[in-house]
Amino acid sequence: MGGTSRRADRLITLGLALGTVLWLLAVEGREGFGRDEAQYMRAGERYWGWFEELATNLRQGKPGRSFGASAIDRYWSDNAPDHPVIMKTLSGLSWRAFHTCTCTGPARGLHPIPVQGRHWTLPLFSRDSTAFRFPAILFAALLVAMVFRFARAWLPPSAAAAAAVLTLAQPHYFFHAQIACFDAPIATMAFAVGFAYWKSLRDPRWGIAAGVLFGVALGVKHNAWLMPFFLVAHFLWMRRGDLRARRLPRPPLAFVAMLVLGPIIFFLHWPWLWNAPVARTRAYVVRHLDHEHYNFEYLGWNWNQPPTRTAMKLLRATAPFVETGFTVPVTTLALAAFGAAALVRRRRDEALFPDGESEAPVAAQPSWLRPGADVDRAPGAFVLFQTLGPLCVLAVPSTPIFGGVKHFLTAMPYLALLGGIGLTSIARGLVGALPIARARLGRAAPAVLAFVVCVPAVIETRRSHPDGLGHYNLLAGGFAGGASLGMNRQFWGYSVLPMLPDLEARAPENRRLFWHDVLSDAISMYKREGRLAMGVGDTGFGEDGIKRSEIGILFYEKHWAKYEGWFWEFYGTTQPIYVRAREGVPLVTLYRRGAR
Amino acid sequence: MDNDQVVGPAPGPTPSAMNSRSLPRSAPPLLIAAAVVLLALVETAAALIAPSRAPTDADWAAAARQVRAEFRPGDLIVAAPAWADPILRVHLGDLIPIEVAGRLDDDRFARVWEVSQRGARATATTGGTVALEQRFGRLTVRRIERQAEPVGYDFVARWADAQVSRVEAARTVPCRTTGDRIQCPDLSFNFVHRQIVEVDNRLREALLAQPVGQAVVAIEYPAVRLGRVLVVATGLHDTWMRKAARGTVEMRVIVGGQPQALPTTSDDSGWTRTRIDTTARAGQVVPVRFEITSPAPYARHFAFAAEARG
Repeated sequence: MGGTSRRADRLITLGLALGTVLWLLAVEGREGFGRDEAQYMRAGERYWGWFEELATNLRQGKPGRSFGASAIDRYWSDNAPDHPVIMKTLSGLSWRAFHTCTCTGPARGLHPIPVQGRHWTLPLFSRDSTAFRFPAILFAALLVAMVFRFARAWLPPSAAAAAAVLTLAQPHYFFHAQIACFDAPIATMAFAVGFAYWKSLRDPRWGIAAGVLFGVALGVKHNAWLMPFFLVAHFLWMRRGDLRARRLPRPPLAFVAMLVLGPIIFFLHWPWLWNAPVARTRAYVVRHLDHEHYNFEYLGWNWNQPPTRTAMKLLRATAPFVETGFTVPVTTLALAAFGAAALVRRRRDEALFPDGESEAPVAAQPSWLRPGADVDRAPGAFVLFQTLGPLCVLAVPSTPIFGGVKHFLTAMPYLALLGGIGLTSIARGLVGALPIARARLGRAAPAVLAFVVCVPAVIETRRSHPDGLGHYNLLAGGFAGGASLGMNRQFWGYSVLPMLPDLEARAPENRRLFWHDVLSDAISMYKREGRLAMGVGDTGFGEDGIKRSEIGILFYEKHWAKYEGWFWEFYGTTQPIYVRAREGVPLVTLYRRGAR
Repeated sequence: MDNDQVVGPAPGPTPSAMNSRSLPRSAPPLLIAAAVVLLALVETAAALIAPSRAPTDADWAAAARQVRAEFRPGDLIVAAPAWADPILRVHLGDLIPIEVAGRLDDDRFARVWEVSQRGARATATTGGTVALEQRFGRLTVRRIERQAEPVGYDFVARWADAQVSRVEAARTVPCRTTGDRIQCPDLSFNFVHRQIVEVDNRLREALLAQPVGQAVVAIEYPAVRLGRVLVVATGLHDTWMRKAARGTVEMRVIVGGQPQALPTTSDDSGWTRTRIDTTARAGQVVPVRFEITSPAPYARHFAFAAEARG
């Protein structure tokens, strides 16, 4: 690759990353706060409180105070042992740095830590939540940029750029990419770890990087625990010659680094662990190994525990594959199928495409520092394991599926990469089939084709927003088709946001408002941002919350049916006064006591 | 060193060789490219057009006006697909009282109004004839007329007629009406209560009667005029209770001294209807007794509804 080409690649990388940030920042304000996100924002601000106190203690020459058990637990026990803290900490720091402070106004009491006075900030964002979400958005941009860089080793620029765009332009990924949660960031880290591992096969510097990145991934979300399995699977396949010769391959540097650096970074990044490392690490691990099965709708059934009958186990096992088939844009899926075919047809030691990175061995001897130097690196197996691995884990019937696609979001960048490979395969065929007289057309065809295949993904993604969880693709029939198939429409109360002006206008009834699945942290954030009047009330959760209320909302998920029964019973009517719907599919209903 | 994958420095394949291998030799590349472009165009067009396929508020308002103009008390109004039901109730909910929304089944309705979109049909219209059909934008209103089963005795509505007791090994414990329920002594959860229950993630108006360990919960209606059929529906209320336990519940119905076992109710049963033929005793007034037992009654929020029909 020449200098000009490298410069062009850098520019494209930058453009893709910047485009991602701008697109996500342009639309994130239309997406409400789910239960989890509101908690993470609260925790992030509280973690910032620890840094604030540390600064005070430093000024007083007593930094040790911040490292005592009680000082640590006062801040860092929020949202523990649920999730490690890299993203929440970044969110908290971003909020502190970039929000526009109205903190001493009426919402002063809604902050999880005392507001000492007006915050001096670089006020990039008018809403607190945008500042909280900014790090996750940067992680999404990083992923898009990495997909392009990774793909460039195999693909021409237009196809690599298409792979990057197809990574972002997936309605469910897009939904998660702009919120202050961990599912999109862990997809970034899964790709980063995979990227570093791949490079480490022929370059030892990347082996150390893989270890560091794995440590960071462990600090982002527990999905990181699975990454080594998919990488080891590829490593063993790549070195199957050793196994055939009944010789165990030496563990490569990348795995050694992941084993050593991963736990160290994980432990160091999470102050909550420091007070009782073994007990608290155990609590964290057990929390996720023994996680409750929350309710989730799939193919008309409400799943909230492991199935016991064989037929249901089989149906449950299809979930990640069917959800992928119904949520990823169909053109992307088709391209990925062509990409998989191209990988299967590649011959050992050959590059995937001409001008791509060669797979011919570059060394005669095996080495634990460069374990892929003396063999073909098996790119097909690599992409296959990274794509199907997360889906297969979620196909095990005993695993919870309450997050839907977000539980295997780590597979999606690799699926988009497959799409880029498929696109190249088709474009090469097309160019080869064009008559020589059409040379100019042949030169333009790959870029035009890349543009055309990205259009439906971008349009579908734009259409889905801000209700990406309820969006299904052409195969399923969109929002309505998904509802008819009995697929999940939403979770955790984020979809109320467009109703806030209406709820605010319904004074004085809104002083006694039943918020159903909207957590008090989310309500606080809406008030802090001025999207909801301070006087709007919250009658609490469950049956008593509805009994106390004058108006109330209900989110349509199968397991909440009982709540609608309470509305009928306590309000004396089956008639809602408003339904928030997308393309005719109900998402949220508003009831008023005694409405006729 | 005998790694069979080591081949030494790669000579590198010829571009033309790889070029031909990226697609099947027989595959017509132009056709494949055209197919992918066509797919992209179709997907794009569908994404742009789909939002306009949804019914508008004006469609719903117009459809509601049509239904209201010809609605008769006792009619059933349903949405197709069923997921549109909340929007239907925004416009016509005042014509859908709780007892209709939480009906045992659809069989007692002779006239069914169906407000349909996207070509969907409601199961409630099965077996009927279309007496009226009119389009309102993206909605179609149909009135379906069909043979109905008139209800002679509704056991849920007549819950206050019931005599409830708990039959233990050595004694029968009578229960008493207190407020909105019939409460049995000593066990707070041992009562019969008319309420809206959630069975199979759908709402029904039913009697909630939790089973008691080592005992029979008996609910007896002393004087029921039988029709041609006695319909009994059973299920377990509350998705969280269904998650909490796996025990089964048995119900036996004794109609005028003749016992009849119903299917065992489990977490997976849903709302199970049983039709008991009472043609031979139609018109007779007899006692009807429901007996509920369970080998594992923990968290079993058993619910049932029954109607003597025809």
